[in-house]
Amino acid sequence: MNGVIAEISYRALLGRRRVWLLVLLPAVLLALAVLLRVVDAGGERAAVMLLQTFAVGTMLPLLGLIAGTGVIAPEIDDGTVVHLLAKPISRPVIAQTKFLVAASVVAVFAAVPTFAAAYLLIGLESGVASGFALGALIGGVAYAAVFMLLGTVTRHAVTIGIAYAVIWEGVVGNFVPGARRFSIQQWAQTVADQVSSSAFLTTEITLGFAAAALLLVTAGAVVWAGQRLRSFSLTGDE
Amino acid sequence: MSDLSPGTPSLGGAPAGVIHDIGYRHYDGPRTGRGPATAALAVHTLRGVFGLGRPARAKIIPFLLVGTMMLPAVVSIAVMAVAKQKMAGYTEYAVIMQAVLAIFLAAQAPYTVAPDLRFRVLPLYLSRPVTLWDYVGAKLAAMAAAMFLLLAVPLTTLFIGEMVVDLPGPPDTGGYLTSMAGAVCYAVLLACVGVAVASFTPRRGLGVAAVIALYLLASGVSTVVAAVMESVNDYDAAAWAWLINPFFLVDAAVQVGIFGAEPSAPGSYPTGIGVAAAITIMLGLIALSVTALVIRYRKAASR
Repeated sequence: MNGVIAEISYRALLGRRRVWLLVLLPAVLLALAVLLRVVDAGGERAAVMLLQTFAVGTMLPLLGLIAGTGVIAPEIDDGTVVHLLAKPISRPVIAQTKFLVAASVVAVFAAVPTFAAAYLLIGLESGVASGFALGALIGGVAYAAVFMLLGTVTRHAVTIGIAYAVIWEGVVGNFVPGARRFSIQQWAQTVADQVSSSAFLTTEITLGFAAAALLLVTAGAVVWAGQRLRSFSLTGDE
Repeated sequence: MSDLSPGTPSLGGAPAGVIHDIGYRHYDGPRTGRGPATAALAVHTLRGVFGLGRPARAKIIPFLLVGTMMLPAVVSIAVMAVAKQKMAGYTEYAVIMQAVLAIFLAAQAPYTVAPDLRFRVLPLYLSRPVTLWDYVGAKLAAMAAAMFLLLAVPLTTLFIGEMVVDLPGPPDTGGYLTSMAGAVCYAVLLACVGVAVASFTPRRGLGVAAVIALYLLASGVSTVVAAVMESVNDYDAAAWAWLINPFFLVDAAVQVGIFGAEPSAPGSYPTGIGVAAAITIMLGLIALSVTALVIRYRKAASR
């Protein structure tokens, strides 16, 4: 953890146009929760559907993508990462610091609004709010780690990231049950299911598999990103 | 050559500026002017969208997505040939493949605008006969042509396949022509909105994220609102909610509204005034995007 790098990363993430995207996504989630409340379609079933399809299914991967790639990819694109790498700071420490920044941003912009939306709809009933908040937190941290790694590996990190989130988790996961075992979204829902006792939320993956996978993927991605920065070579822009 | 060698101060003592002829070859060919220059820019951009004329790395993503778009058409022809029955319809093709179309748009629309903004080369273009409107028009035309090709090639392949396999009964020519008209509208709407959103940032990665975020937001909101409205038995509101998704909007406005095809959404679309509203929203979105683009480029060109 390095304070200066963290500060620079926070500024890159929150100081420019990027922050508007980060605000827009939770704002829409809360607006939908208010709408459900207004038309009186609340109730546990609607709340679980909103959180499953929108909060975890749409908002979480996008926030993870914007925060995860946002801490490292623009610097590599600009070439200003050279100044960072030339400093006598261990490269794994740089990766860890940037990961912590991305993870904290996802926690604030994903987990807190998820809890608020659920609380708005059904209060603390059957642990749905706390379950999904925990699921969004853990899943968002995993997304941030994976997409940060992607940002150090390729210049097309954002495109590959959305292809994973939309095609693999969205489309393939709907038709091929096996694909669901390798989906961060499904792991996050498993965590949510464990905390909440709601009958409307069912998941197929066991907690043991999901927890191990989340831990492995998060830690592995951060370590790999550090290794990747150690042997980083600058290539010309296309 | 004059007897004064270049650069020699004139007799008055004040230095005079001289342009040296250092031997570059002159251009003596015809100067074609504004129209061909705009067309050249459009063709260059269209090639670049598919990665042609760029390094191999830039070709991987567009061609993977083109391959994915072709997949249902090829599978469907194979099923027609073997099992003698139809699978995918023409008008629902774009709606079924909307995720792939959206990813292609998100991945490639920033390429058309971001590098020029980032490296501030706009004044170089505008110092030529090309005007601001020409530049914006060329970029939009290239992106729209790319989206149209992405959709029209699999549809046409499917149609040719259907004719070759020669199923009992007449081929679905009406459905094919309707879907081609739909493809034109899909291409124009998606390209205008995508390029307009992407032009607001000179960073390609952020542009990609912004376009896909808007698409996922629109489709997510429309699904959730429609499901909620159906759960309180308000089917009229649910029908309107589908229009939030741009793919269902064009389907409702053109393919269902004008040509009377079957709706491709899970529910039904608003009828009567709803068709006119859908067409108005579609044209309004296109006009809004073009206006935003021109305003954006006026600002960028004046820097």
